[in-house]
Amino acid sequence: MKKTLAVLIPAVFAQAVGNVFLSMRMKEVGSSIWFDLLPRAIESPTLWIGTVLLIVSFILFASSLSWADLSFVIPAVSMEVAVNVILANYFLHEVISLTRWAGVLFISLGVILVMRSERYKVVEKREDLRAYGRR
Amino acid sequence: MKTAVLITMIVLADSAGDVLLTLGMKQVGEISAIHPVALLAIGRKVITNRNFLFGLGFFAVTFFAFLIVLSWADLSLVFPAKSLVYVASTLGAKFILGEIVTFERWAGVSLVCVGVFLTSLP
Repeated sequence: MKKTLAVLIPAVFAQAVGNVFLSMRMKEVGSSIWFDLLPRAIESPTLWIGTVLLIVSFILFASSLSWADLSFVIPAVSMEVAVNVILANYFLHEVISLTRWAGVLFISLGVILVMRSERYKVVEKREDLRAYGRR
Repeated sequence: MKTAVLITMIVLADSAGDVLLTLGMKQVGEISAIHPVALLAIGRKVITNRNFLFGLGFFAVTFFAFLIVLSWADLSLVFPAKSLVYVASTLGAKFILGEIVTFERWAGVSLVCVGVFLTSLP
């Protein structure tokens, strides 16, 4: 669980910060015509930093799946939706409606429940080991 | 109707990608190395794993189906539907990967699903 979180927390932040960088750069070029959008966007390092962060996030996500349950990783990573909203509000000064803040709250509560379910599993495993040792 | 078909496709392809990626990574085995040379060897094992590559393929399908449906449907309709991926992936984890999904974990996934739906509303 500790190892999973040590990988997934940076993954969540890399993803959210990466999206902030992408959004920042795309808003800068925003006014140009569609076929001009990408060639102009890649001129700035901001877009590259954002893209690299997203790739790093994916690598961390995939690595965690080499040992952790998918049914744990998927809801845990959903925290990135909440972090995205918070960072968009803080760095991009986007106005967040009450409905969206409620969504952030729901996601956070859901992630806390999923964390708790993992903790019980660890306890169960330890008890299994203890029972095994007694035999 | 066309929109419903594509949204279903997005949800199924995304969760199939998750399941295949997990299968592939479990075959590669737990990553515990931090030495660059060892990591490089693991990286080569990952990108030659068939399940991993199929998983990536499904993610590509998801991405293009998403772009296609956005060409006529509103983002505010399509994005909330993506919250269903959390439920579909958890079902995949339970029935295909054989993971134990406790009641508490289901409750957590449901809350996340509602939360993602709410954040996608204006």
